[in-house]
Amino acid sequence: MAGKRDQSGIISLIGIACSFISGGLTWLAIWNHPTVSAEINWFTIGASTFKVGILLNNLSALMLLLVPTVALPVHIYSRAYMKGDPGIHRYWMYLSLFCFAMLGLVVMDSLLLMYIFWELVGFASYLLIGFWFTRETAVQANKKAFIVNRIGDLGFLIGLAIIFTQFKTLNLIDLFGETGLIYQSAVTNGQWVSPVNSMDQIWLTIAGLAFFLAAMAKSAQFPLHVWLPDAMEGPTSVSSLIHAATMVAAGVFLLATVFPLFNESALLFIAIIGTITAASAAYFALGQYDIKRILAFSTISQLGFMMVGIGIGTWDAALFHLVTHAFFKCLLFLSAGAIIHEMAHLKTHSHLDFDPQDLRNMGGLKKYMPKTFILMSVASLALAGFPLTSGYLSKDSIVISSFEWALSKGDFYLIIPVSLIVISILTAFYIGRLIFKAFLGDFRIMDQVKDKLHGAPLHEASKTMLIPMFILGICCLFPLFSLNPVSYHDSWLMDGLLLDEYTFAPCHSAHLIIPLILLIGSIISWVVGWKWYVQHTYSLNTNSLALKAAFNQGYINELYQWIFVDGTLKIARFCYWFDRYVVDSLVAFIQFIVLSLSRLSVWIDKYIVDGFVNAVASVAYWTGNQVRLVQNGKLQTALYSVFLFVLLGLIYLIFF
Amino acid sequence: MITLTHFLVVSACIFCIGLYTVLSKKNAIMILVGIELMINAAILNFVAFGKYDKVSYGGQIFALFAIVLAAAAVAVGLALVLNVYRHYKTINPDEINELKDK
Repeated sequence: MAGKRDQSGIISLIGIACSFISGGLTWLAIWNHPTVSAEINWFTIGASTFKVGILLNNLSALMLLLVPTVALPVHIYSRAYMKGDPGIHRYWMYLSLFCFAMLGLVVMDSLLLMYIFWELVGFASYLLIGFWFTRETAVQANKKAFIVNRIGDLGFLIGLAIIFTQFKTLNLIDLFGETGLIYQSAVTNGQWVSPVNSMDQIWLTIAGLAFFLAAMAKSAQFPLHVWLPDAMEGPTSVSSLIHAATMVAAGVFLLATVFPLFNESALLFIAIIGTITAASAAYFALGQYDIKRILAFSTISQLGFMMVGIGIGTWDAALFHLVTHAFFKCLLFLSAGAIIHEMAHLKTHSHLDFDPQDLRNMGGLKKYMPKTFILMSVASLALAGFPLTSGYLSKDSIVISSFEWALSKGDFYLIIPVSLIVISILTAFYIGRLIFKAFLGDFRIMDQVKDKLHGAPLHEASKTMLIPMFILGICCLFPLFSLNPVSYHDSWLMDGLLLDEYTFAPCHSAHLIIPLILLIGSIISWVVGWKWYVQHTYSLNTNSLALKAAFNQGYINELYQWIFVDGTLKIARFCYWFDRYVVDSLVAFIQFIVLSLSRLSVWIDKYIVDGFVNAVASVAYWTGNQVRLVQNGKLQTALYSVFLFVLLGLIYLIFF
Repeated sequence: MITLTHFLVVSACIFCIGLYTVLSKKNAIMILVGIELMINAAILNFVAFGKYDKVSYGGQIFALFAIVLAAAAVAVGLALVLNVYRHYKTINPDEINELKDK
């Protein structure tokens, strides 16, 4: 049961099922009921005590319900998808670690603990992206994901530091609750004044931007989105859970939690970055051929939508989109996983070498995988915002609100809603392209595989995979979220997320016109897509510069490689050169000086000091030698000496 | 006038000549000559100072005794030199050096 023999993942399954049940019960108890919280002391430094605790309000209860609801189908699906993989025991371990971290993230009541779980989620993502670590691309991808996430963690830390300095607490209730410290602070005379501290008002903007930096890295906003397409190296079930539904949503969750902190400038910045992200990702998705890459860019684009939702002040709409996006994106990934699974089977059976994820090798799969086709189409309609799906409600809520917001701010701001409308139409186009190229038309590599096998080249996915997908498919339709399919304001989700009124006035005509524009635009894009991909009347140049740029993701990866990787290597090489030629020669020079001094010292010691001593000795010797001559035994010498001493005595007596 | 000082200077000169002879001659007989000169200088000194004792003529008397003693000393000295010659076969004082430390 335990360790390497746990191939079935039954422990993880039971665990996530329990989370699902308890999440549901918690949601029932907390939704639209008073907030519940509890905390204990953790540690004290100086005069500050840091506490650990749980906070359950509408937002965390919603996430507590969402995460297991998406994770449970993924766990069941993984049993079939990862079957036979030699590392499957690690898979269940990492998946459970991730679910733990994500659930922990949403219930914590202190920003410090949120940070801890934030990093843990990033770590679990690193482990799962590099699950097949024997592949070089997977190793590069998980390294990239972790490093880019680290930049966001830096932003989180800076935000934490600023908040702690300003408010002396990191508790969410004390800060952002209804009578919280944020609401008691104000910006007066260029200073951000709080009940316990005051600092220059620029720090308010910086704090907001720091938390947004954290969300930018985690939720793959431009320009820190580069890790998400590469993260597709991990198993598809991992991509569906982490990189579509939950982890990337953590950034949006964070922003919704610290929303009272943002001032005008920070919010505008968020909205702009969100729009840029949505636009660039949609553009890149148009030129991709890998099925998972298209979905990855689609995720980035939809996250951009959510950020715009936060930037314009309607964070309830952003969270609504988060929830609906979780379901249909997860379903899209699971269906893509089913297709890839079958294509990989075909590859091993026919002993050919083709990329099982490449759209150009697929086509006409509707014949062989009808249920997958229906489910994927439902999810695609939800992504495109087609009426009667959940995506219609949430996406339109953001687009319409952005239009009303732009009207209230000034005509220049209309760029954002107009861009969002264009992006939505592009979204419909690229997801339509995916469906058309994969499921309709003819199976493109049929000629290559025809004689290698008997019967159909592909089979429908197994029941273990289909049933979770089916459950998610039900959640993509409108009844789960609102009994009224056309108005999003009736959704129970929006009602519960406590935003009494927006800062801008509603525009009722927009509620009609914009959905109409989006619907017509989507239908037109699908007609064009049908013509191009099913009837093969493609009229654009495949090798055009614009398409090449889209395929190469705008060459952003190459830019980062050139600036950061090559730059760092150049700096490292320079440091090596400096150390080798400058520092070492300095050391050698000092060594030379010291040696010369010591040689001089030796010379002085040998010739001068010793010479002096020897000279004294020589003088003594010579003197002695001279005096010795007296003792030569000659009589006259003796007489001479006597005479000398008598003379000396006489001189002494006479003169002294 | 010839004062006492003249006598004393002459006496000193004779003494120094005698001393030099003792210290530098390479003949033992010449050493005896030198000794004799020194004694004679002392005798001259006595006689010079004798002018102050007109009562008992002390200087003159002592000079007479000194002359006799000088003669006796030289006689003894000559006897010594003869014996030394018998042993050393030379009377060069430089070669009579067996008193030195080995």
